[in-house]
Amino acid sequence: MSSTSTTPAVALEASGLGKRYGRRAAALDGCSFRLPTGRISALVGPNGAGKSTLLAIAAGLLRPTAGTVTVLGGAPGKARDRIAYLAQNKPLYPQLTIAETLRMGAELNPARWDAACAARIVEQGDLDPGSRIRGLSGGQRTRVALALALGKRPDLMLLDEPMADLDPLARHEMMGTLMADAADRGTTVLMSSHIVSELADACDHLLLLGEGRVRLGGGIDDLLAAHTLVTGRGTPADLAPHTVVESRTAGRGLTALIRRDGPVGDGWATEEPSLEELLLAHLRAPEAPALLTPGTTVTAQEVTA
Amino acid sequence: MTAPTLDAPPAVSVRKAPRGLIRTVLRLHRAALWIWFAFVAITAGLLLWLIGPGADATAQKLEKFGYGGGVMEAAYSSDTFLYFTSGAYNDLFYNPDTLLTLASFGVALFAGGPLIARELESGTAQLAWTQSVSPARWLAAKLAVPAAFIVLGTGLLTVLYRQLWSAHSNLLIAGIGPRSLYFSIGPATVAAPLLGLALGTLIGLAVRRTLPALAFSGFAYFLVYAFRGNHWPFQGRYQQPEIVSRSHAITSTGAEIGDPGCYEKTACLAEHDVVRFTRAYLPSPDYWPRQLLETGVLLALTAVAVTLAFAVLRRRAATL
Repeated sequence: MSSTSTTPAVALEASGLGKRYGRRAAALDGCSFRLPTGRISALVGPNGAGKSTLLAIAAGLLRPTAGTVTVLGGAPGKARDRIAYLAQNKPLYPQLTIAETLRMGAELNPARWDAACAARIVEQGDLDPGSRIRGLSGGQRTRVALALALGKRPDLMLLDEPMADLDPLARHEMMGTLMADAADRGTTVLMSSHIVSELADACDHLLLLGEGRVRLGGGIDDLLAAHTLVTGRGTPADLAPHTVVESRTAGRGLTALIRRDGPVGDGWATEEPSLEELLLAHLRAPEAPALLTPGTTVTAQEVTA
Repeated sequence: MTAPTLDAPPAVSVRKAPRGLIRTVLRLHRAALWIWFAFVAITAGLLLWLIGPGADATAQKLEKFGYGGGVMEAAYSSDTFLYFTSGAYNDLFYNPDTLLTLASFGVALFAGGPLIARELESGTAQLAWTQSVSPARWLAAKLAVPAAFIVLGTGLLTVLYRQLWSAHSNLLIAGIGPRSLYFSIGPATVAAPLLGLALGTLIGLAVRRTLPALAFSGFAYFLVYAFRGNHWPFQGRYQQPEIVSRSHAITSTGAEIGDPGCYEKTACLAEHDVVRFTRAYLPSPDYWPRQLLETGVLLALTAVAVTLAFAVLRRRAATL
């Protein structure tokens, strides 16, 4: 039961995680997954699927009402100094200047702060360190918030729609900075976003949340390889024994996204779906059974199943 | 839980960063800090003026014409609609107390609004909690830093006020005014804004929105103020006791006689051979029991509010 390795190979593990706000429907309900260290994972799901709640619980900001979550090998909140969290609205102190905000980062993270790294990100945006946060645009605030997050040299980054208010150029540049830094240092990233193209370029892992639980989880390549987009004449019933995630009649034929169980029969044209097609099919078909690839399931039993 | 990598997490040594945290809290609340310094400086200046040059004219009148002749006249001669603007020494004497009360209200509002609720509402508290600082340490710093300034500031003003009382309380017009002032200035003057800080913090954490937190904090401190000012019906038995003053007229032979009631008639004073008057409030044996009881109650309530504040925080966030 003990490990000789100093870095746990699992950055984030949730088991039966539930969170209920008052009497409303649960934001998370039986959410279980495992995020291996070093992956850059996209957290996707419809609005209200529990993405922000999951990230806030992992950051030690919310208590789950059920289940457990392990972050970097300990309880959430045990590893505050090794986690960076970027909330959706990018809160910063409006009365501070950029330089003072970064100094706060240094003072609140004395063990890990990398002032040069934080200053570089601010400089890339042509921001004057003396200007106050309250005068910055949304995109400029995001840049300062990211500088604060990266300056901490985190082992795990929890980013809630990090690029939402950046213009396309700044988004591309910031994403590049973020990904280069993560690749350099082996940082694990869990990042929620609605922009699929951005995710397809940057991420190698996917967690699709729906109705408070993980509906699709694993390496993006594995997930894409497990699915096939088939086109042909017939009905969804003809596609047994494969699992039909979603099917549509297109023209005279049928287009369906299936999880293969053995080779696909004759008469069907097959192609590998794009990430966007995979996500859209699952978002359109909430009743499709969940699929977690082996490294992403929580217990050893499920791995062999 | 069979995978070896899940178990035995490396012991993460949580580095303590109290100095950085305190510097950050100071920087975040710079504006409030300057307002507090201004309040302490202005009030201390007023108190020093009242101890020193401000009292001279009225003190001379007391010495020359006695309490009835000089002091009362001086106080009433410049009566205005707003008593605290009258400029009469008797009225000015109470202004530092008014300022202290307003500042204590200000502390409660500051604690409820900008210190806690605004941070929770805007998400900046969560920003701090995802640096290397646990919510519990964040709250501890948020309470300790203002509390230190409150204790230093109001402590200094209370000491000066006691000095002023022992120097010039004889110039006050007798009545409920000197009595309630005498019994309210002391350790309890320091404890009351601390309770305001704790109540505001508790309300800010519970309400989490700035405007309602401001309203509730103001109301909560109004209750404290009413309790301290004996404005509650059930406090009838706890009314301030009388404090005794001694007035004498002193003749040229040094004999102490009663006030002949000459007021400002110098012929009358010469006839009674009065050369000067003295007047002093005697220390009340009730002062320390009342002050210590009140301070004890206020500090006990402060401790309860702080404990509840940490409990509310623990329910909200994974504090470790």
